[in-house]
Amino acid sequence: MTIQKSLSVGFWILFGLVVLPVVPPVIGESSGQVSFNRDIRPILAANCFECHGHDESGRKAGLRLDVPDEVFKEKKGITAIVPGRTADSEIFRRITAKDSDDLMPPPETNNTLSPEQVETIRLWIEQGAEYEDHWAFVPPQRPVIPAMSITGWARNSIDHLVAVRMEEQGLEPAPEADRYTLIRRLYLDLIGLLPTPGQADAFTSDSDPLAYEKLVNRLLQSPRYGERWARPWLDLARYSDTNGYEKDRPRSIWAYRDWVIKALNDDMPFNQFTVEQIAGDMLPNATLEQKIATGFHRNTMLNEEGGIDPLEYRFYAMVDRVAATGTVWMGLTTGCAQCHSHKYDPISHQDYYSLMALLNNADEPDLIVPDKGVLERRKKILSEIEQLQNELPGKFPIGDGSGSVEERRHHRLEQSFSEWLQEEKSVAVQWTPLLPNHLESNLPKLEMLEDGSTFSSGDITKRDVYTLRFPLASVTKNGSQITALKLEVLPDDRLPARGPGRAYYEGRKGDFFLSEFTARMKGQELKFKSASHSYGKISIGNGGADAANVIDGNGSTGWSTSGQEGKAHHLVLVFSEPIIPEGELEIEMLFERHFAASLGRFRISATSRTGAVSASRHPARILSLLVRGPSSLSDSERKTLKSAFLDVTSELAEARKQIEKLRKQLPEFPTTMVMLERPPDNPRLTHLRHRGEYLSPREVVSSGIPSVFVHADSGNLPTNRLELARWLASRKNPLAARVTVNRAWRAFFGAGLVRTSGDFGTQSDPPTHPELLDWLACEFMDQDWSLKKLHRLIVSSATYRQSSNLTELKRQQDPENRYLSRSSRGRVDAETVRDLLLSGSGLLSEKMYGPSVYPPQPSSVTALAYGNTKWNSSTGEDRYRRSLYTFSKRTAPFAAFSVFDAPSGEICVARRDRSNTPLQALTLLNDEMFIEMARELAQKAMDLELPSPSGRAMDIFRRLLIRPPSESETKAMVEFQQTQLSRLSNGELNALHISGQEQASDEQASWVMVARAVMNLDETITKQ
Amino acid sequence: MSIEQLQQRTRRHFFKDCGIGVGRIALASLLGNTLTDPSRAFSANNESPSSPHPTHFAPKAKRVIYLFMAGAPSQLDLFDYKPKLAELEGKPIPPSVIQGQRYAFIQPDAAVLGPRFSFSRHGASGAELSEMLPHLGKVVDEIAIVRSVHTDLFNHSPAQLFVNTGSGIPGRPSMGSWLSYGIGSEANDLPSFVVLKSGGSLSGGAAMWSSGFLPSTHQGVPFRSQGDPILHVSNPKGVDMQAQRDSLDLIRRLNRERLEVVGDPEINARIEAYEMAYRMQTRAPELMDFSRESKGTLDLYGAEPGNPKQAFANNCILARRLAERGVRFIQVYHSGWDHHSNVEGGLRSQCAQTDQASAALILDLKQRGLLEDTLVIWGGEFGRTPMVESSVALGRTLGRDHHPQAFSMWFSGGGIRSGVTLGQTDELGFHVVENPVHMHDVQATLLHCLGIDHTRLNFRFRGLNFRLTGVEDHHPVKEILA
Repeated sequence: MTIQKSLSVGFWILFGLVVLPVVPPVIGESSGQVSFNRDIRPILAANCFECHGHDESGRKAGLRLDVPDEVFKEKKGITAIVPGRTADSEIFRRITAKDSDDLMPPPETNNTLSPEQVETIRLWIEQGAEYEDHWAFVPPQRPVIPAMSITGWARNSIDHLVAVRMEEQGLEPAPEADRYTLIRRLYLDLIGLLPTPGQADAFTSDSDPLAYEKLVNRLLQSPRYGERWARPWLDLARYSDTNGYEKDRPRSIWAYRDWVIKALNDDMPFNQFTVEQIAGDMLPNATLEQKIATGFHRNTMLNEEGGIDPLEYRFYAMVDRVAATGTVWMGLTTGCAQCHSHKYDPISHQDYYSLMALLNNADEPDLIVPDKGVLERRKKILSEIEQLQNELPGKFPIGDGSGSVEERRHHRLEQSFSEWLQEEKSVAVQWTPLLPNHLESNLPKLEMLEDGSTFSSGDITKRDVYTLRFPLASVTKNGSQITALKLEVLPDDRLPARGPGRAYYEGRKGDFFLSEFTARMKGQELKFKSASHSYGKISIGNGGADAANVIDGNGSTGWSTSGQEGKAHHLVLVFSEPIIPEGELEIEMLFERHFAASLGRFRISATSRTGAVSASRHPARILSLLVRGPSSLSDSERKTLKSAFLDVTSELAEARKQIEKLRKQLPEFPTTMVMLERPPDNPRLTHLRHRGEYLSPREVVSSGIPSVFVHADSGNLPTNRLELARWLASRKNPLAARVTVNRAWRAFFGAGLVRTSGDFGTQSDPPTHPELLDWLACEFMDQDWSLKKLHRLIVSSATYRQSSNLTELKRQQDPENRYLSRSSRGRVDAETVRDLLLSGSGLLSEKMYGPSVYPPQPSSVTALAYGNTKWNSSTGEDRYRRSLYTFSKRTAPFAAFSVFDAPSGEICVARRDRSNTPLQALTLLNDEMFIEMARELAQKAMDLELPSPSGRAMDIFRRLLIRPPSESETKAMVEFQQTQLSRLSNGELNALHISGQEQASDEQASWVMVARAVMNLDETITKQ
Repeated sequence: MSIEQLQQRTRRHFFKDCGIGVGRIALASLLGNTLTDPSRAFSANNESPSSPHPTHFAPKAKRVIYLFMAGAPSQLDLFDYKPKLAELEGKPIPPSVIQGQRYAFIQPDAAVLGPRFSFSRHGASGAELSEMLPHLGKVVDEIAIVRSVHTDLFNHSPAQLFVNTGSGIPGRPSMGSWLSYGIGSEANDLPSFVVLKSGGSLSGGAAMWSSGFLPSTHQGVPFRSQGDPILHVSNPKGVDMQAQRDSLDLIRRLNRERLEVVGDPEINARIEAYEMAYRMQTRAPELMDFSRESKGTLDLYGAEPGNPKQAFANNCILARRLAERGVRFIQVYHSGWDHHSNVEGGLRSQCAQTDQASAALILDLKQRGLLEDTLVIWGGEFGRTPMVESSVALGRTLGRDHHPQAFSMWFSGGGIRSGVTLGQTDELGFHVVENPVHMHDVQATLLHCLGIDHTRLNFRFRGLNFRLTGVEDHHPVKEILA
């Protein structure tokens, strides 16, 4: 017995991981052959793995049933499973034990194996207890395409693999759908819009045997294709135009949405599509577009509520990123492992945080997009400004005295200018930048830049403290004493809104709040006697921004330059007693607010000037020229000063108004949210979080992919975000291609080959057609990960071209269409409901890209959101743009979309619900947005040259349903129209109200009623 | 052991250990399908997902009116009287107490702020209430006060989401959705989950009534204060009810004709949905018509239909009307309790708007015989600090910051033991020292009153079994159950 066991153990060690078919064998349930993956794993997963699974911490009796390693080993005379011998197998004894102390699962768990389950386990052990790796964790292999007996049906390999399953079930494929159905189906599937009746007629009468293929190619080339397929990808990316949570303010990330549309239209290979979105910033010489692509993981929410801990919500965003990465590229639920090792899938607590570490080493800046249109407009305005500036001297008031007008004007200008220079020089302070030799903070990284300023990067908190030390020797000439300090706050393109502060939520972007400024020498605090600033204003709250706030010992008062983002300002502090420039000066700056608001870039300078010292209104560059005085200036420097003079002198106040107006009109470049890998000297550490709690950090984890994907032949494993991205969409990841083709399959057939889309773990449903899934996955990879080729392949199959009608026979034999013996019929997605009606009514605008737009909806929708947000409906073309351009507000989603199950961008959604509710009926019947379309359809019908009622009814019907109506359908519509017409004529109904026009005939109004009814047909909003 | 023996054994074990009778077994297996099988709700072939379903055990309440005091009322000035705070007022709170706690706005060395109001005992139960709640004082024997609630989050949006969905991150199903999913609706002309709102802005947003990963049929329907109460419940301009009926008849006729051709049962579901939409359209005006409410009733609540200043009182009457019409979960939000500054003035104003109507709701439900099977809950998303909040930058003085460690709620009606005050906090009102009640326990209690075992109301999503009350061990609060 012992020998036997050690033999079997040896067998499993040798062959344990190369075992057996990697996909569940396709066998009838009657064959009696038990499959581990199909039959046993689900039983064990549901009843046993909680205590005998992957999770080490929860494991009981040291027994693990999910892998064969231990199961066949004898321990203290007991062996869990002896293949072929139930009587000697401890687990069988336990699951059938009479004594409740022995029975497994323990009675108190309320998990009880059914007699059928016990019998299945018995059979499995009797048949040799063969384990199989979970199919989804083994790379897909291209299966052999079987022959089939339904001759002449197949159009490509998909059909062979589908037909085999149908044949097993004694099913026959449905006949091919008629051409009207096919063209409407293809349009909806490939571009999400309707064909015109004319296009449909051309197709149905096209005798070219390749008419279908030509149509497919044409649709794949349409720019509308990228718009249609961007939508499900944006569901996965959890795209939204607002930040989420309480305030849910707008954000600018539409450039990412546009990137997705372009990438899909260009048929960017899916592996490249992946790499650019996960780590485009890390590619060598990353292009602007590749940086924009990293918006994928910036679509996480941002909590702007006052008083939050920003790093806590950053952690939740990371949790979301790990979850989305798992869902999109691995089809795996990683969520459980946030808190503890996964009970069912082999992802440990450690694995989870290692995966997070791969994604966690990036900063999250806004990227300025040098939009060409904006650039042009800026250029134009700037040149207008320059011209006006050049004209300023000519507008200077005319002086007294002799000479021509121009001479007197010139004379007065020169005189005023030199007086100004004199005066400004007398108050100009010479500042010497202090260069720090020590920079320290509670968390952000501080570094000195070439100009002596300090730059802050990395994470910030609600209470940041910067400590800088400056050697003072040789700061002043002749060792004269230092009388005052200046703090310049400086803009920088890398900062939010170009700085100078780092605030990125709650307060204004680029804001800072300096609470306290402390100077020390030799441990002694130095006193200041006065403070002044060039500008001061705080955001959020009504407190003042006096310069003296930074030396008042009260952390809740401070200085800020809110409203002047992107501009430099400064603060001057005068010492009570001048200090001798010896040793080191230590400066401590405290930034303490209910939001994170430390400085992003600043410079500290000193002066030894003994007279009055205060903040100047001049920028540093001008100030340094003023200090030098008129005599030492070059011509160009003098010119610079003259411009500065012209820009401030009160004598030109009136003349400058136009310049100031133009400056206000200068358009800002749009920004988009991106990822930026951190510099090597400031990596972000990732901690394991006990029970997944932010407040329970444990050890620092190293980065890596989950161990289940690591094999002896894995080669180099990902160590950073870029390497992860490359691994995710590679042949090394057994799931990427499968998950992707499965999503595509679901889009065309309503259900995936794995029906639990988004979850390919051990608890998932096994695929209905495992060989087809793997064949498609291999084909997808071999075709250079081309989504367009994949889509063409699917729609070219005979399987896709079947009719979707549900006959009585099909209802009995294949009620859920698991065997694909017909095509699918189902309501289209929310956005497509609107888009198809827009296209059918002819209102659709084809304008692409750009900031999101606001189609009409009742103001009460967003009134419910925080701050009683207004919804200013777009006018003109933007009112009728494709639905994916609709402004998406997370806490008050566009009502007509959410009622049709559109997600709100809060989590990654792999599969939308498809509900059928009374609220949808109310929306389609009564929403003003849809009435507009009904009116347009009626107008088109009224414009027809053949004015028979049945002709008009047919026109409306065909614009939406494409196929011609049956006689009885036409009759029903006309009867209805006649009834409404008579009610209109006798004054019971008001034509002007219904048609929404100042002039409208009763007849026109009656067709509005017809159009509205046809828009509400099940078939109208259904792909069949 | 043979299969038969095993079967016997399993059944015996089931009877013995679970202590329930044969009839219940049938019920439980039925529930196995109803409460945990996602396919049930997705399939259009089955009964409508909104029709009533059996519960795990006999419910005490059929419906819930949840008065959500958004912004977090100060328990220290309303329910949890702490004379020690008055004694220590102006002194910093002992560091040993505040150790390790994070706050939204205040610094850890903030001073103590004494109760702003006087307290007295009321009713036969002698419950202690602030002078700001005179009306509640009159019905105090009808409610159970819990002074030892605590929660996990200290910012509004996440904490409000946590109360509603059991998670601070948007995306999970809300209580009302769980109820609609779990036990369906008793109304066929109104939604099963209705949201009403008064006061200021709501931090949690639409995620608070989202159905999350549950079928979206179960999402809450917010009633709008402007325009249609239910979005698009009115016909477009110019379309009267006859024209609407005619239109629906045409739509039905054409849909039926199509059904004959394509055989898709989803078309039947669509026809049903349109009929229910029509019923809603006819029902809504009657629901919103307060003219049948007597002056006595309006005065009891302090309501004044159409006056936005009385929005909360009006909503309380509307809540009762919805309850009468079979709506399962009615959530009445009143926002305006976030008193970071001048907690005293803030409470005066909010209590003036809410105290009378909250108490009136209990009296009114009782006199109509509805209180016995309606669960009424009152509470915010967290409590407020014993420490004072003041800030020059924000212009704040004499306020209180967010405090998740201890706060108070009250419960009344179906399934609740009235006249009880449960729980103790320490002498500063900082931490719970007796009968801690986690927010998940509150949720478990709510489900329990409706006949649902919170551990068995699950939904499988992405390979995980989710439930409202999370994975940790939580329980209904036995002490306040009848």
